[in-house]
Amino acid sequence: MILDLIPDDEQQLIEDSLRGFLRDRLPVARLREANAHGGAAEQALWEDLAGLGLFGLGVSDDKGGLGYGFAEEALVARALGAHLVSPSVLAQVLAPHYAEDDGLREALISGEARAAFADGNGHAIDAGWAEQLLVLSGGAAVLADTASAGLGDSVDGLDETVELRALGKRPEAGHAASRIGLMLAAYLTGIAQTAREMAVEYAKEREQFNQPIGGFQAIKHMCADMAVRAATADAQVFYAAVSGDAAPSPVGEVAAARLLANEAAIENARANIQIHGGMGFTAECDAHLLLKRAHLIAALGADRAGWRAQVLDARIL
Amino acid sequence: MPRKRVALALPMREIYRLPAMRIIETPELRHFREDCRSWLADNVPRNPRPKDGTEMRDFDLGWQALQHKGGWAGVSWPKEYGGRGLSVLEQMIWHEEYARAGGPPAGTMFVALSHAGPTLIVQGTDEHKARHLPAILEGRENWCQGFSEPGAGSDLASLKCKAEVDGDALVVNGTKIWTSYGHLARWQELLVRTGGGELPRHKGLTWAICDMQAPGIEVRPIRAMSGYYQFSQVFYDNVRIPLSDVVGGVNEGWRVAMTTLGFERGTGTIVHQIELANTVEQLIAWARDNSARVDEVQMASLAQLKLAVMALRSLTAASVSRGMHEEVPGAEGNIVALYYGELTRRVNAAAFDIVGAEALARGGQHDFPLHYLESFKWAIGGGTSEVRRNAIGERVLGLPRGPRAV
Repeated sequence: MILDLIPDDEQQLIEDSLRGFLRDRLPVARLREANAHGGAAEQALWEDLAGLGLFGLGVSDDKGGLGYGFAEEALVARALGAHLVSPSVLAQVLAPHYAEDDGLREALISGEARAAFADGNGHAIDAGWAEQLLVLSGGAAVLADTASAGLGDSVDGLDETVELRALGKRPEAGHAASRIGLMLAAYLTGIAQTAREMAVEYAKEREQFNQPIGGFQAIKHMCADMAVRAATADAQVFYAAVSGDAAPSPVGEVAAARLLANEAAIENARANIQIHGGMGFTAECDAHLLLKRAHLIAALGADRAGWRAQVLDARIL
Repeated sequence: MPRKRVALALPMREIYRLPAMRIIETPELRHFREDCRSWLADNVPRNPRPKDGTEMRDFDLGWQALQHKGGWAGVSWPKEYGGRGLSVLEQMIWHEEYARAGGPPAGTMFVALSHAGPTLIVQGTDEHKARHLPAILEGRENWCQGFSEPGAGSDLASLKCKAEVDGDALVVNGTKIWTSYGHLARWQELLVRTGGGELPRHKGLTWAICDMQAPGIEVRPIRAMSGYYQFSQVFYDNVRIPLSDVVGGVNEGWRVAMTTLGFERGTGTIVHQIELANTVEQLIAWARDNSARVDEVQMASLAQLKLAVMALRSLTAASVSRGMHEEVPGAEGNIVALYYGELTRRVNAAAFDIVGAEALARGGQHDFPLHYLESFKWAIGGGTSEVRRNAIGERVLGLPRGPRAV
């Protein structure tokens, strides 16, 4: 199968518009302030986000969406990840696919009804405003009323920039969650990309021994490896997105995207901290935010043994 | 009217100009693929490829001639020089089907097909093209590469092999090393120093077509760790090369050579990649058939290798996609080359770990020891992994350049 993985003008425009908006309104540095945590910054911009056309972007025209495909959704998910946007925004982009009645789907697309992610084995994430939970467990997903999930009090988590609440009841999972898995992978490649950019920028500025540290091979090669990890995960995400159901093993392609993106995001976030040295270990530097978010999303709906089995079974020749 | 496309001010889909992120599939391409497949099924040599010497070279030339006779040589090379004149898409399909059919490695034809030919197509004169391109495609001549020297490996621009202009010729004196199959090659792409100390060191180089049968050339084969004679050292004693055989102009050799390396770092390894994927699938099948002998850690490591093989395929697809939109490959090709080199070593080392003692016996259906020993070259030849990381850091990411001699 021959794929063209380069975005066309229209796709590039979608990504550029969104990235421009996020740069202005939701820079990563916002998360230094606690009042932006838990999705508060995003909820304050909810109407703008709905106005951008993000929610239900990939839902077909006849169901009230924009009729785009996996590739455009993945471009959006990657941009959201690059800015550590609340996972609820990605949940809202995807939730309309899982709405079983037209009224709910419309309400999700317009942004009237708000959604958030939950892990069937764990917690709801940034669900403070959500009336619907997109619950992931064991490769399946279901959209459930927040009220029926019996959310507990918020609990402290590794990523203090999100609000976690325990699920009181675990809804029955219904649909295959391949699309969600792929978009979480795209979000993670966005994190891997941001970590690489942050590290490279710092390596160009920071001077020791009278030269930028990026001139030293020890640092340069770490940056090169970050670029390789980000490029590899990205290529796999878009390979899976563009080949879609036409790939011989669509599920295996998504599993590969998920495994590669998890690793790229976490390893790049770690390397970024190391390259920042003492600063990287502080709460003032944004590097730790990337690491924490990478772990949060990597763990969402995670099934490493299942993914590995799907990768081993994937037909690629 | 719904709010469609308004907020993002999106153009309507009808005005697509460039190809989108998409599956490229047309009846013509499908047909082309089927043709490749059926020809290869009937023609891929079944007799084993000799592993050394002139027998091996003659096998490679013969197979090239057969491909040419069948109309499959130079799929994307210009028609007027014996190629098919098709796009990079057909070229890619041909490579894929070739690897699937178990076609033999290009071997002694590799430099001619993947470096010298493409370089002449882009930068050679009409006369160069007419003399060499058909001869390469017809399997009448093979090439080697004279770039590295004993004192100029990773630091290629420091090379010292000297050429002086004397009348209508370059007169070459010096030596080249790690010249793959130099002792078996008919022609050489040769990079020599023509400029004096007044020029910056990479501005004084010239890329020339060197006749390996010219007087004054002495070739000393070098035995590789696999036991076979895979490369050589070449000595030049007042070797005369007509000035008309300079490609790209005197003192323009660095630019020409970088283009050549660009081709190497781009998609030149598709066939090798698919072979690597085949090896991993064979290892997985072996592990499943011998599950009592394979532990969980080994199974997990096979999953990691399969994952990496998929990643490499996708990375290459991204690189090929860029190739559809850009004429000359960029420095990003280093990412593919680095990943491929490192992965080849991992896969071949894993074969020992997983297949165990059996894998240590040489010969046999799967010559694991040979492949293992061979795998080291992919992280060294054409740029070590370390040099590739430098190139990614400096040319892709824009980090400060490392030490350079003046």
